[in-house]
Amino acid sequence: MKSDRGGQSGKTWLIAGVCLVCAILIKPVQDRCESRRSQSEPGPDLLYFSSPGAVKSMALGYDNLLADVYWMRAIQYYGRREEASKRPVRYKNLSTLLDITTTLDPYLLDAYRAGSNFLAEPDPVGAGQPQEALKLLDKGIRVNPQDWRLYYDKGFIYYLFLQDYRAAGETWLEASKLSSAPYWMAGLAAMSMSKGGAIEVAMALWQRQYRESDRADIRENARNHMMSFQVAKDLWTLEFLLDRYRAASGSFPPSLQELLRGRKRKYATADPSGIPYDYNPQTGAIRLSPQSKIRYLKVPEAYKEHLRLTIND
Amino acid sequence: MVGRILAIAGNTYRENIRDKVLYNLILFALIMIFSSLALGQLTLGNESKVIIDLGLSGISIFGMLIAIFIGISLVYKELEKRTVYALLAKPVHRHEWILGKYLGLLFTLLVNIAVMTVGLALAMLYTGGIQAGGYVRLLPAVYTIFLSLALITALALLFSTFSSPALSAVFTFFLWVIGHFGADLRSFAELTKSAPVMWLCRVLYYVLPNFSAFAILDSRSILRGTGYLQSIDPWAIWWATVYCAIYCAFLIALGISIFMRRDFK
Amino acid sequence: MPVVEIENLTKDFSIGFWKKHPVRALDNLCLEVHEGEIFGFLGPNGAGKSTTIKLLMHLLHPTSGTARILGRPVDSVSMHKSIGYLPENPYFYDYLTPKELLTYIGRLFGLHRPALSKKVDALIEDVGLERAGNLQLRKFSKGMVQRIGIAQALINDPEIVFLDEPMSGLDPLGRMDVRRIITSLKARGVTVFFSSHILPDVEALCDRVAILNRGRLQEQGALEEILKVRIEGHDVILSGWTEQHLSDIRQFCDEVRPMGDRLQLRVNDPQKMEGLLSFVFSNKLELISLNPIRPSLEEYFQSLVGSR
Repeated sequence: MKSDRGGQSGKTWLIAGVCLVCAILIKPVQDRCESRRSQSEPGPDLLYFSSPGAVKSMALGYDNLLADVYWMRAIQYYGRREEASKRPVRYKNLSTLLDITTTLDPYLLDAYRAGSNFLAEPDPVGAGQPQEALKLLDKGIRVNPQDWRLYYDKGFIYYLFLQDYRAAGETWLEASKLSSAPYWMAGLAAMSMSKGGAIEVAMALWQRQYRESDRADIRENARNHMMSFQVAKDLWTLEFLLDRYRAASGSFPPSLQELLRGRKRKYATADPSGIPYDYNPQTGAIRLSPQSKIRYLKVPEAYKEHLRLTIND
Repeated sequence: MVGRILAIAGNTYRENIRDKVLYNLILFALIMIFSSLALGQLTLGNESKVIIDLGLSGISIFGMLIAIFIGISLVYKELEKRTVYALLAKPVHRHEWILGKYLGLLFTLLVNIAVMTVGLALAMLYTGGIQAGGYVRLLPAVYTIFLSLALITALALLFSTFSSPALSAVFTFFLWVIGHFGADLRSFAELTKSAPVMWLCRVLYYVLPNFSAFAILDSRSILRGTGYLQSIDPWAIWWATVYCAIYCAFLIALGISIFMRRDFK
Repeated sequence: MPVVEIENLTKDFSIGFWKKHPVRALDNLCLEVHEGEIFGFLGPNGAGKSTTIKLLMHLLHPTSGTARILGRPVDSVSMHKSIGYLPENPYFYDYLTPKELLTYIGRLFGLHRPALSKKVDALIEDVGLERAGNLQLRKFSKGMVQRIGIAQALINDPEIVFLDEPMSGLDPLGRMDVRRIITSLKARGVTVFFSSHILPDVEALCDRVAILNRGRLQEQGALEEILKVRIEGHDVILSGWTEQHLSDIRQFCDEVRPMGDRLQLRVNDPQKMEGLLSFVFSNKLELISLNPIRPSLEEYFQSLVGSR
């Protein structure tokens, strides 16, 4: 007679199998979900009430927790710079997000620092809103007046994104008067006010950020900036030399080696990653090779003039 | 087998449709949708956005309540009132009963959601100024809500095979709330410096139902002119569907195995 | 071949949070039911009758032992196609009408229209519910629910039906109806297995019985052999009496109680019974009723098992 006993244990195996398969598949599927989902900007469930006061009053005392949630979502979306090249990142809601976060938890320092960084960086790496960044830092300074780092960041933004060397120097000077300020702050202020516009100062600022930030994405960004400055310096230098060569001989040199023959100083003909710069002898144009792996971030033209004055070869 | 499952599903649907409490919940939802019309007036020009956002949230929340309510009370009622006794003495496998119940519940949910969506569409119509495309784009948004409800129903069904209705409702609701912070759990795991906390968060992230996976569409995908129209990513919807299917399959399988071993005293 | 074979069927229920104290509801039951007979399953409340039937229906999982119905083990779902079951205190979906319920159940058996609706109508008539065919079950009385319960047990033309306390809660008319249905089932060749704690019902219907007490089988066999229950006396009701008759009547009876135009008598001695009856007939008194007095089933068991 047909017995269902075997069927019973057979069913159990089937169910166990189904559960196992599901359990195994959950992780990859969920990861896919997350990666597709994170492509959309933090949405109305966070920003529906875009008044920080409203959010705070609704937080029912869980202000800090909510601030953490907002902040986490913000950096999840905005902080993934390496993905920023793969998908367009929109910054429409960033300053509101940061405003709400810092209203909920005014002592969340990272929100001011990294947040202002995201805001000030120009498109596509950041929101390109340096004024908003300054406002955010001012808000932070009001609540944390003794923290020199906020002043430092403010000056950083003035110097590198607004090219306002005076304002940068003044901010750094104020910072240097704080008891917690490091010894080099005053020197930095002075250098800004006297040598404002020099590539070396900019490079030094980026280098400091690269060494000291504890966020991988910010370090990566600083490194890109440093290399961009180096590339800009190399290219502009070569441009000046090319102009003088043409002025002297009437045409562009056939190659860079020809241009640099006989000079005492060493000039770079390849970018920091070793790829030679691309030179077109007909037009005299020199640029970063398309094969270069360097992520070039635009360096303001203002530095070019300052550089010209230093080249006397 | 399919015939029996469909018969049970049909009966489940019929039971729900004749249940008066359900109508109250739908009424509440419709009231909420229409009162969003009033709220919309306050936002000076942003009415459509408010109505759609509130409407979708209303459908989501009331859908959740309906799903928990019918998911739990239905199974519990059958076990409590022993209507299931006569049924299981028929040539019906226990797994067919659970599957039939689940399908019936899903279909009931579908009908309820449809009613609420029509209500929302009417509210949108009344506000005016929304193009036809907006109404069409309402469907994928409601679909993602339906996915989350299918998951809630599976949870409710699982709990009610072994737990009392009060506890089942509490657990399911609790998991729904936590599940919405799924993405944040993952972020937290990436950010925290403590290794045990990181592992705990990662495990929780994968084990707990991740409802944030369904929160992909909102008014920005429906309306033009609210800044920008966020395009609907079909792959996001696809993966959300797959996730829902897998998690539900797991829950139902578990529910079936518990139900199979159960003594009906 | 017996249609039901139960071998050493045992069921323990675990009580307590840590499931430490099992209560033995059924202890090594061995039973056989033959084809075409009406089998009565007797026992006081809590004896384990419902447990046994639920084990047979695979609603409960046995702790040990086996059971077979129609030669197939009880966990065979396909076997359920040939059996019918009426649960104890049945409850069906109260939002359905009898027609809808029976149609639903019929579909579970794989029956289709139009044969299904014909069958449904016939069954509703059989159990006497024609007038309530389109009423929702929530409006049914207990007796009506019992009837629809029997109907749903029969919809698949089973070879054997299991009825758990089919008479419970019914009025005399209802019980008569159920008895009629059971006998008609036997006439059709259907085996009937029903449990009860009411002796007269069992006596009236069964070919063979089993008596269960506290989870153990006390007796099993043909009715006459088992129910050697002592008749303690008779209750007699007469009418048409006059004062003159009383003194004569008193010599036959142990108790005499006048009730208006009726006389209630208790006669313990069967010999005296004969005398009373000839007196009644020769004096042209009317015999309204004559009922044997038996001990209750509980008392019977106590006599069976001694004092506990």
